[in-house]
Amino acid sequence: MHYRSLIAATALAGALLAAFTAAADDSKYPNLKGQWNTLSPRGSFDPDKPPGRGTLAPLTEEYKAVYEANVKDQLAGGHGTEPSYMCLPPGMPRAMIAYESMEVVVTPETTYILIDHIHDHRRIHTDGRPWPTEIEPSFRGYSIGKWVDEGNTGRFNVLEVETRGFKGPRAYDTSGLPLHSDNKTVVKERIYQDKADANILYDEITTIDSALTRPWIVTRKYQRDTKQQFPWWREVVCTENNQHVRIGEENYMIGADGLLMPARKGQRPPDLRYFSQGEVTGATK
Amino acid sequence: MRSSLGAFVLLAALVLPLGAQAHDDSKYPNWEGKWNRDPGPPRYDPSKPPRRGQQPPLTAEYQKIWEASLADQAAGGQGNDTTHRCIPVGMPRQATSGFPIEIVITTKATYILFESSFASPRKIHTDGRDWPKEVEPTFTGYSIGKWLDTDGDGRFDTLEVETRHMKGPRQVDNSGLPLHEDNKTVVKERLSLNKTNPDIINNEVTTIDNAFTRPWTVMKNYRRIQGELAEDNCNENNNHVDIGGQIYYLSADGYLMPAKKGQQPPDLRYFSQAQ
Repeated sequence: MHYRSLIAATALAGALLAAFTAAADDSKYPNLKGQWNTLSPRGSFDPDKPPGRGTLAPLTEEYKAVYEANVKDQLAGGHGTEPSYMCLPPGMPRAMIAYESMEVVVTPETTYILIDHIHDHRRIHTDGRPWPTEIEPSFRGYSIGKWVDEGNTGRFNVLEVETRGFKGPRAYDTSGLPLHSDNKTVVKERIYQDKADANILYDEITTIDSALTRPWIVTRKYQRDTKQQFPWWREVVCTENNQHVRIGEENYMIGADGLLMPARKGQRPPDLRYFSQGEVTGATK
Repeated sequence: MRSSLGAFVLLAALVLPLGAQAHDDSKYPNWEGKWNRDPGPPRYDPSKPPRRGQQPPLTAEYQKIWEASLADQAAGGQGNDTTHRCIPVGMPRQATSGFPIEIVITTKATYILFESSFASPRKIHTDGRDWPKEVEPTFTGYSIGKWLDTDGDGRFDTLEVETRHMKGPRQVDNSGLPLHEDNKTVVKERLSLNKTNPDIINNEVTTIDNAFTRPWTVMKNYRRIQGELAEDNCNENNNHVDIGGQIYYLSADGYLMPAKKGQQPPDLRYFSQAQ
């Protein structure tokens, strides 16, 4: 009798356990709540190297030439291979520079990385799905992740992520350091907290790209804001005050007085063939 | 018997503290998946035809502003509608327009994520916080929500939300139906699963705004649809060019075009040479 009661009690407790494990069990996942801000410089994808040529990215000869042409264009007032001036999302891996504050929302099926910069929010599927046979290409790509308990601590402590399915144009940072136009990039990440300080987060990012001679590994670092009880999340709207205008293949600027301006020395004005007057207002003839 | 009770207490003690700290999915409704509002033309009130058919409760002053917007749009302009600039539409339009959404529920906040870059993600705080003393205005506004168990079955079924602290310019719909420029809009929502169809979320949206003579309440339906949120970037294919407040078009062959009959080309005084 006593034994049967024990079995019944065990069964009841087991049922309770099952009910709770069906829910999102926070105790299994690391506490990544709060607002994270980058501790790594925003100007350079590789935080350990200076931006631009100093980054020493392992580019192929072909893409070294693409990059140098970009540098030349930027020096002349252009944007080279840097696409974000027209408020295009940075995409991956650049999104993880975290130009704005980052929020990590963990659910058993998905981890969301929300960065309100230029529509660069990420969805990382952790529900065990295989790679889909077809992926609609996007700047942020399609991410599949896996939570890992390194060291058998009884709790997940590393999120391994692989991201594929990109479109372009994408660059690593404002220097215009390019990714290959074939968009066959694969980005692998290991996201984990510092063992000694849970308010420090690392993202070890490995980029595999046809413009590179080898996988390129950088580690970026973020810090949790522990000062604000209710952190403020900015709404960043790139297009709200964007003074760049693209007409055809040319980039122009809008002046403080609202008039169209050349972006580079000697730049020709836009072709106005579709205006019936054929009258060009104001330009020095 | 005492021993078995003791065993139960011990086992429960091992199990419950872990669960008690967790986000308990079983307390919240299943709103997983991708949702979109009922098909049909863009409009705030789905029970009425679009544009003038909406019969909005505008004050005389703002009725005039709306009439001017409609007239400008009829002439090829954009009126008050700001979407040609790819800036977010803000609240309440982002809750009432046809942008596919995903709803992520956690204990402390419910997030509404949008496929389109026309809408910034919404974070609805459900952690019991008060309104902050100072809020930086945004298009999306600051939202505080509360979960309700209206039928007493032990599970939340309704999310009540209030949103304040918006900035402008915002419009109710693509006709340029204006909200007041003082941006003192308050939007109240009640979201709940349809009682007969769990693939429909009903959202009763009430907009209180100084451009209106009374609160304007409508019922929006979001339907669960196949797939996942894609990435829709307005800036990728925007063929509008705003130069000093004049809106032009970009032709398929990349040339600047007038958007209205007889529209003057842009002033090119800063260029040293004409074409």
